[in-house]
Amino acid sequence: MLNWYENVDTLNPLAVSSRIRLARNIKGVPFPKRMNNTQKEETLESFKKLLDGVKLGNVGTLKYINMETVPEEELFAMVERHIISPDFAKKQGPKGIVISENEAVSIMLLEEDHIRLQVLQGGFKLNEAYEIAKKIEAILSEGLTLAFDSQLGYLTECPTNLGTGLRASLMLHLPILEGSGSLATIAESVSKIGLTVRGMYGEGSRSQAALYQLSNQVTLGISEQAAIDNLSAIANQIVQKELAARESLDKKSLEDSVYRALGTLRYARLLTSAEMMNLISSVKLGVEMGILEDIDPILPMKLLIETQSFSLQKANGRMTPADRDVLRASIIRERL
Amino acid sequence: MMCENCGKNPATTHLKTVVNGVVHENHLCSYCAANSGYSNIGGLSLTNMLASMFGESISSGKPISKRCECCGASFSDIAQSGRVGCSECYTTFRNELLPSLSRLHGKANHIGSTPKEEKGEETSAEKIKKLKVLLSNAVKAEEFEEAAKLRDEIRALEGEENNA
Ligand SMILES: [Zn+2]
Ligand SMILES: [Zn+2]
Repeated sequence: MLNWYENVDTLNPLAVSSRIRLARNIKGVPFPKRMNNTQKEETLESFKKLLDGVKLGNVGTLKYINMETVPEEELFAMVERHIISPDFAKKQGPKGIVISENEAVSIMLLEEDHIRLQVLQGGFKLNEAYEIAKKIEAILSEGLTLAFDSQLGYLTECPTNLGTGLRASLMLHLPILEGSGSLATIAESVSKIGLTVRGMYGEGSRSQAALYQLSNQVTLGISEQAAIDNLSAIANQIVQKELAARESLDKKSLEDSVYRALGTLRYARLLTSAEMMNLISSVKLGVEMGILEDIDPILPMKLLIETQSFSLQKANGRMTPADRDVLRASIIRERL
Repeated sequence: MMCENCGKNPATTHLKTVVNGVVHENHLCSYCAANSGYSNIGGLSLTNMLASMFGESISSGKPISKRCECCGASFSDIAQSGRVGCSECYTTFRNELLPSLSRLHGKANHIGSTPKEEKGEETSAEKIKKLKVLLSNAVKAEEFEEAAKLRDEIRALEGEENNA
């Protein structure tokens, strides 16, 4: 079964991934911050009983992992793969995760809320992701009493998540809008209609991967479907803007920068993470625009995720930054 | 680019927040991003903002000595942290919380999905009816942003009905 970054949306290759997150809590149990360790262990045990080994058609079998025993490199490699939040990786005390075979489903247990259910899909797949999330939520609400209030909706530790507890996000590859400096304006205008744009891997003078995450902010007074539809509509507009900006570029100089990036990746002996992301973004742009027809469309994202610092160390053991740069360059040279 | 905070690891997390139209940007490694917490960037922490909103309910009223029976939180615990103690706190401190909640979310009521056992209470036709009442109230009060939101919501629900 494939990971989210091993799927490419052929219809909309700029939409790298779709994420649905639902915040849920158990009624009558203190939120994690106010739980003692015994309560935490017991709650984790009940999650394990409910979810461990459950088979779900399109994502495989769910597995419970005690996160306290997971080494730090693996935790931060999970952050790099977007499976857990950085806050959760750092969090002390009993905590757990339920994860599907292909990592499309990951349920953080005892993060800020008792349950942070996440479904990640490659491409523009918000509705599909939400369908999967609903299936898992049905299992949860069958086995547990979820905290709910008819006026305030699902009850969460942070009042900003009240209502649906839904955060839907689309990760978009927007190198040309970024380069033209239009993203700040876009960020400002979408903030007025209840959405946010956040960079995932940095921007600024084309030094990073030009991946941006568009998410909804409003959770109360809007249905899940309306929130997803709004987000999709705005994402489509942003994608159209990016595509139009690409059309207006000088073809020869675009081709030149794409091939230069590919050349560097194919021959470099040392690659820092930042340089890698910048170059991969150019190669990805080349693939999206049909300039680099021989490159497997999934390869740019796969390399981008798998050659980040913690992911390299998870696969190869702890090493110095200099050794990482050597290894990163040699992996990319071999695969590209 | 290296992490702005530690300068040791490559920056993999780019945080961009818009506060009152001003864009703040930070480049951090995943380790430092975890330590800072996403919401803390840009000089304005979400927790502090919430805390100051709840705090106003304290300073404007008489001191509240009751505690939540489920988690033991007092209202000042919630006000200081900007975080609610448990689901029951929303009942225990409802009157204290509601003014800040409505400033956070507007006068909106939940209209999304409901847990299993609560289902079957409200069909989408009932929901549309309820929304139409809210819409005409919003129009009367000249709250046009709210009205536009409600109108979209009604359209979406009607769309779902027609497709079903
Ligand atoms: Zn750092
Ligand atoms: Zn409580």
